[in-house]
Amino acid sequence: MASDLLSIASSGAKAARTALDVTAQNIANASTDGYVKRSVTLEEVSSTSGIGRTNGVSLSGVRVSGVERNVDLFRQMEVRRTTSDAQRATTEVDGLENIEAAIEQSGVFSAIAGFESSLLQLASDPVDNSLRTAFVEDARTMAQTLNIASTSLEAAGEVMRFEANAGVNQVNVLTGELARVNLQLTRTKNGSSDQISLLDERDLLLQQLSGYANINTTIASDETVEVRLGGSGGPLLVSGKDSYTLAMDTASDGTISFTLDGSAVTFSAGSLIGHSQALEKLADVHDQLDTIAANLISVVNAAQASGVDLDGNPGQAMFTGTGAANIAIAFSDGSLVATAPAGAAADSRDDSNLTALRQALDAADPAGEMDSLIFQISSTVASRTITRDALQSIASSASLALQSQAGVDLDQEAVDLIRYQQAFQACGRAMQVATELFDTLVGIG
Amino acid sequence: MAYVSNSTSAFYDSALLNMTALRKQAEAIQAQTGTGQRLSRSSDDPVAASRLRMLERAQQFSEIDETAANRAKSDLSLADTTLSSFGDYINRIKELALQAANGTLTAEQRSSIGVEIEQIHTDLVALANTRDSVGHALFGGETTGAAYTLDAAGNAVYVGTGTSSELSLGDGQTVTSSLTGPEFLNFDVNGTATNLLAVVKSLGEALQGGVADPAAAANESLDTLSAAFASVTNAQTLVGARLSWIDLTTERRVNLSELRTTEQSAIGSTDVTEAIVRLQEITVALEAAQASFTQLASLSLFNKF
Repeated sequence: MASDLLSIASSGAKAARTALDVTAQNIANASTDGYVKRSVTLEEVSSTSGIGRTNGVSLSGVRVSGVERNVDLFRQMEVRRTTSDAQRATTEVDGLENIEAAIEQSGVFSAIAGFESSLLQLASDPVDNSLRTAFVEDARTMAQTLNIASTSLEAAGEVMRFEANAGVNQVNVLTGELARVNLQLTRTKNGSSDQISLLDERDLLLQQLSGYANINTTIASDETVEVRLGGSGGPLLVSGKDSYTLAMDTASDGTISFTLDGSAVTFSAGSLIGHSQALEKLADVHDQLDTIAANLISVVNAAQASGVDLDGNPGQAMFTGTGAANIAIAFSDGSLVATAPAGAAADSRDDSNLTALRQALDAADPAGEMDSLIFQISSTVASRTITRDALQSIASSASLALQSQAGVDLDQEAVDLIRYQQAFQACGRAMQVATELFDTLVGIG
Repeated sequence: MAYVSNSTSAFYDSALLNMTALRKQAEAIQAQTGTGQRLSRSSDDPVAASRLRMLERAQQFSEIDETAANRAKSDLSLADTTLSSFGDYINRIKELALQAANGTLTAEQRSSIGVEIEQIHTDLVALANTRDSVGHALFGGETTGAAYTLDAAGNAVYVGTGTSSELSLGDGQTVTSSLTGPEFLNFDVNGTATNLLAVVKSLGEALQGGVADPAAAANESLDTLSAAFASVTNAQTLVGARLSWIDLTTERRVNLSELRTTEQSAIGSTDVTEAIVRLQEITVALEAAQASFTQLASLSLFNKF
């Protein structure tokens, strides 16, 4: 079969047009999230010569064999892995910072120190009514700041659980979408632009999913993806057109755990794990706060019980409640503070019961306990912040590495634009030559 | 075809990351200079924050100790002045007793001296019932009422408690803020316990004819009054020693407080010079980053078409 100059030129013009379209698409999507730069692969069209014409020239031009997506699978995997780690650390630090703020900004420490100071001051004149009232009011302030700290912790926990729950819902939406994309992928032709947009969508979904939980992906030959939660041995999250439902359970102490398709599941990274870790710390901090409050209640009430008040009556309990959430002051009358030892007369200036209370408080050391609680949570925040910063910079450099490989380089596109424009013009010129040749041949006749 | 390009979005993203990091550092320093505090929350430096909390607490306690020390000081000064008054009265009684011991005086003259001494007795009882800075009996120990009351026969009876209250001066140091009446009004003469108020009362009664020989009684009382004076002077020495003990602990407390303030500012305050130099450094880097970003961003082939 002979060659046809006109059709060769026209196939070249068509290919150049397609390449120009792809270039324009790249330019248009230069800053689209998840868009991977496409490039056109061209293929020569030629046929083998027929029998007896082995030396014949048989050229048929060019065709677009497919649109290629330039993505490095390893870098994509790295982005997913580092995103999971960075998200876990970021969420955990956010949660811990909330816990720190709840404990520190409620002013519990200074309220306890104020209570101690007030006690010290009362010792200078135990029968002074204004000092007694000040002592009771400082005790009230302390009880109320403990209530506030407890409420703030509860609120921080609520927010974390709400976010974790929203995260779980989002995971289910994403896995549902992935299953749908998988189904569509099985129906598209390899190398088609449909398939390529689906692949972009698939990779974007996987990247979003990795923010919530660490996942392991396996890509089949038909480009569908199988997603496992956690490592490669983890349970299936998405397989073909099926996705499995993730759910969250809240324990009585406010900590959370996850189930996948009804059975308990553990994984190690992602914002869901960050929430879970922060909530565990919160439960621990809340326990310690309750212990401090309970100690205060028992020490002060025990001292009250072993003394007599200003009227010479046996002292009554000063605090009610069992922990930080419900500690409250039982009376507001300063004269009910039992400063004198049992058996002392009314209006006694004997402050030995007060001294006993101070010694008991020194031994229980609520201020020291509170300080060490704040120290514990703030040093956790400090060290986790360092980890988070490291993981975040790893994640952003992984993401930059992927982008610089898979993203659109506008300079490159500008060059391509000129290259394919020239190719198109050259093909047009070839068509013109074909016309001139034809005219020449016609002219001979 | 696998090649590595420098994608446009990667260029913008990395520029954004770098400039945001610089901006964050600059803002942190700005916050430090703005508030004067190096730490905005405990997690900025947990160890320093814990130390600051404890220093703050110690400072709070120290202020209360200072109030207590001031109170003890004013009570002891009041005791000192009152003891001086006791001394003055004893001297006056001694003068009167000396006059009364003179054999040339008539019974009427002695009797009028006796009346004056009886009046002084009333003053002494009132003095023994002096109130302290918060209204409690200064020489009544830990009682909330009066130190001395008069019984049916007009004798002054001590009704206070056995010891005076102790005030804490901090760091486990205490001071007894006053004396009880018996501590300086009771004394021994030739092995016999007696007390000033009783001595004065019986002297007054004796001079008014309560005994057969008032002049001899006046003469005898001179030694007893000298012993009473010695007892009051002793008490004043004790009060002086306690006052200087308070001064000593106050000095120590002030020193400690200064040390605490120094430490607080060393670990908690912003070093302004350092902060400004660091801020300048970061600002220069940030400006350079911005300038180079604008230059690079304008380098696009599309501008050459």
